[in-house]
Amino acid sequence: MSSLLSRYAESVFWMARYFERAESLSRVIETQTSFQRGRQDNSWGWIVALYADEKAFAKAFSEATAENVIRYYMAYIDNPGSIQSSIRSARENARALRPMLSTDMWYQLNDFYNRLFAFGPNDFSEVRLSRTCDAIKRGCYAQIGVSESTLYHDETWPFFKLGLYLERADQTSRLLDVRFAQQATGMARDEGHYDFTFWTILLRAASAYHAYRRVFPHDIDPREVARFLIFDPRLPRSLAFCLGEIQAMIEFLRRNCGLKNAAPAAEQAEKMIAGLEAASHDERLLENLHTFNDWVQLSLIGIAEELGQAFFGYAQTPEAAPTPPAAKQTQSQTMAAR
Amino acid sequence: MATITALKNPSTVAPLDNYSPGPRYCELIGSPENRNRHLTALWHRLQQLELQQLRERSADAERELFTLGITFTVYSDRTAIDRILPFDVIPRVITAADWRTIDRGVKQRIKALNLFLWDVYHDRKILKDGLVPSDLVLGNSNYRPEMVGYNPPCGTYIHIGGTDIIRDPRGDFFVLEDNGRTPSGVSYVVESRHLMQRAFPDLMHGFEIESVSEYGTQLGNKLLEVAPPGISDPQIVLLSPGVFNSAYFEHVFLAREIGIPLVEGRDLFVEDDKVFMKTVSGPKPVHVIYRRINDDFLDPEAFKPESVLGVKGLMRAARKGNLTLANAVGTGVADDKAVYAYLPRIIKYYLDEDPILPNVETHICREPDALAYTLSHLDELVVKPVGESGGYGICVGPKATKAEIDICRDQLKANPSNYISQPMIELSVCPTLCADGVEPRHVDLRPFAVTGEDTWLLPGGLTRVALRRGSIVVNSSQGGGTKDTWVLKENGA
Repeated sequence: MSSLLSRYAESVFWMARYFERAESLSRVIETQTSFQRGRQDNSWGWIVALYADEKAFAKAFSEATAENVIRYYMAYIDNPGSIQSSIRSARENARALRPMLSTDMWYQLNDFYNRLFAFGPNDFSEVRLSRTCDAIKRGCYAQIGVSESTLYHDETWPFFKLGLYLERADQTSRLLDVRFAQQATGMARDEGHYDFTFWTILLRAASAYHAYRRVFPHDIDPREVARFLIFDPRLPRSLAFCLGEIQAMIEFLRRNCGLKNAAPAAEQAEKMIAGLEAASHDERLLENLHTFNDWVQLSLIGIAEELGQAFFGYAQTPEAAPTPPAAKQTQSQTMAAR
Repeated sequence: MATITALKNPSTVAPLDNYSPGPRYCELIGSPENRNRHLTALWHRLQQLELQQLRERSADAERELFTLGITFTVYSDRTAIDRILPFDVIPRVITAADWRTIDRGVKQRIKALNLFLWDVYHDRKILKDGLVPSDLVLGNSNYRPEMVGYNPPCGTYIHIGGTDIIRDPRGDFFVLEDNGRTPSGVSYVVESRHLMQRAFPDLMHGFEIESVSEYGTQLGNKLLEVAPPGISDPQIVLLSPGVFNSAYFEHVFLAREIGIPLVEGRDLFVEDDKVFMKTVSGPKPVHVIYRRINDDFLDPEAFKPESVLGVKGLMRAARKGNLTLANAVGTGVADDKAVYAYLPRIIKYYLDEDPILPNVETHICREPDALAYTLSHLDELVVKPVGESGGYGICVGPKATKAEIDICRDQLKANPSNYISQPMIELSVCPTLCADGVEPRHVDLRPFAVTGEDTWLLPGGLTRVALRRGSIVVNSSQGGGTKDTWVLKENGA
């Protein structure tokens, strides 16, 4: 039977989430830098809308200029969702988990962290932003890679992957919502859904452009792009792929680690997969994308909540938890895991 | 030294060209009367490095410590700043013969201290026989009545001990302090060695040095020896106050080296006088806790009720024999600076032996004669508060200003029994890389002893170096750094 501390399980889960979150955020910012090239409108406000940060952002900055939005999401420490905050949170979780981590993982993370916090205003300037985002993405890849190749693959590993794929699914669904956020903030004119550049950039943001090309060599069809990012089981960032991994990891916990209490989480994952299957028959999915994304977000929260109750001790020891259960919010972790 | 200097290019500065330890014992070249004693080979090798090269490699080494996260963290509201303990790359070397003395001497003291603690918490023979004043022990703030009548497995109270040892100008060793609560610093011993092996393989080449890598295995085995009897596969954990503790890195290091979970108070609970940890598959029994939390905070039920670091009921579990705490609660009564003064008598009483490692002459200011002597010799003596650690509150007479001595006198008069005084010993020095080149700096030595049924010493120990010129305070909180400590094997140099 497993003797992995609940606290470790929670920390490894969140560490992975924060890596993935930082990586995705750098993708979104990079997407915008590509998107604005050769255009007149240079609005960054939709990013704030995408993460539903309007209120918090307004407290920090009066206007959603490029500079402010970049600062808010790259280097603003009071924004718990910024890239620097995410990597710091990842590192704080890693510090709590340090006894379980390989020295290589810890070394890599410190190296990455020290580089990230050495970035100055110059690195966030328009000219260098793309390069900076790239460096962040690479730092996150390296982190996930070194974990894959050096972490001892006991029960720690499925919790790492659960965090990773839950966050990735969450972020992919946000990416699919970009169009909606842009329209809601008045940035994108209603050009129907056909905006070749936009959908191309979206594919690139998900590292899915060439894969899409191989499957659909003839055109960039918004309907197909959305379906590709949601349902293609071979695309590592698609919802279907992520859900497959989530289900497999929960199964692994239940079967290989003998953790019977994984059952409710398994049920949640199954329900969500069934929901995806149903959505794949929806002819008007593209038109209903925002509603669909809401459902995805809620379903992912549901899975995280079940994991929290089964393994992280949220429900077992309510008196010991000074802060409310983290799984209630996908955006941030309870302080109890620090 | 002329012959050695002549070997290198005369236009460059070799590290030790201007090195002069003065009237003090030097760990590299020996006593003032007999320099060039035993470590000529190492001297020679250091001299072949250029000063600039030594600096560059030293900077590389410190960078590596930083990236490896061998750091302590200073937290404020918004930031977490990682600092490394300053590391000096010139090693401190101990000969095999000197080590034999230290090894025997430390074991002797640990044995006597454990017997003393058993006696204090059982029959109190030594108090009844009047060798140690009763009120000094029973009125001590570190005395724990909760421990009376409790029988720790193997009779061991101090499972992990750190003994602070210094050396006078003749090269004789003296014990300055016995740390029997939660001595720290062993992680630096092992990590410094690994760092030196990577950064200065050429410096080490050809020396036969005792390994320090066995510490985790040895400690793990000792902790198994003291597990509550009758448990077939005892679960050991290390209890840490958590990531905000300045020694957190060391806690991680130890948990990894022993191969045990690093837990915090909130990971444990006590039910039916048994201890459990919260795991993903439910509660798991725990039998031995290597705790890095002070007595006061260990169990809010028994001690400070406001403690959030500890676990309610640990003392109950220990007293029922379901749990072994390492170190045991209440050991502070034995490593107190005032009790220290009696240690030679304690050794004689229980072991009928003379101390192998002598104490520094100590005046216990609670005794009128000693107080009078201390007050009239304040400018020659080092005055220390008995309850403090970390080098705080110390008045070093020969180096103090008149104002500082006046303050010290007032404090001493106000509360004499809070103080001891000792003659100032000119600590030994070690060549150390400083801003202006390689200079002598004062060092001490803290070997670590682990005890279950018997005692094992990690060959080496923490060499702390006072980086400020002239300072004899080596504590890390007061600007101290560390060095790698080499214990040479027989015929190792």
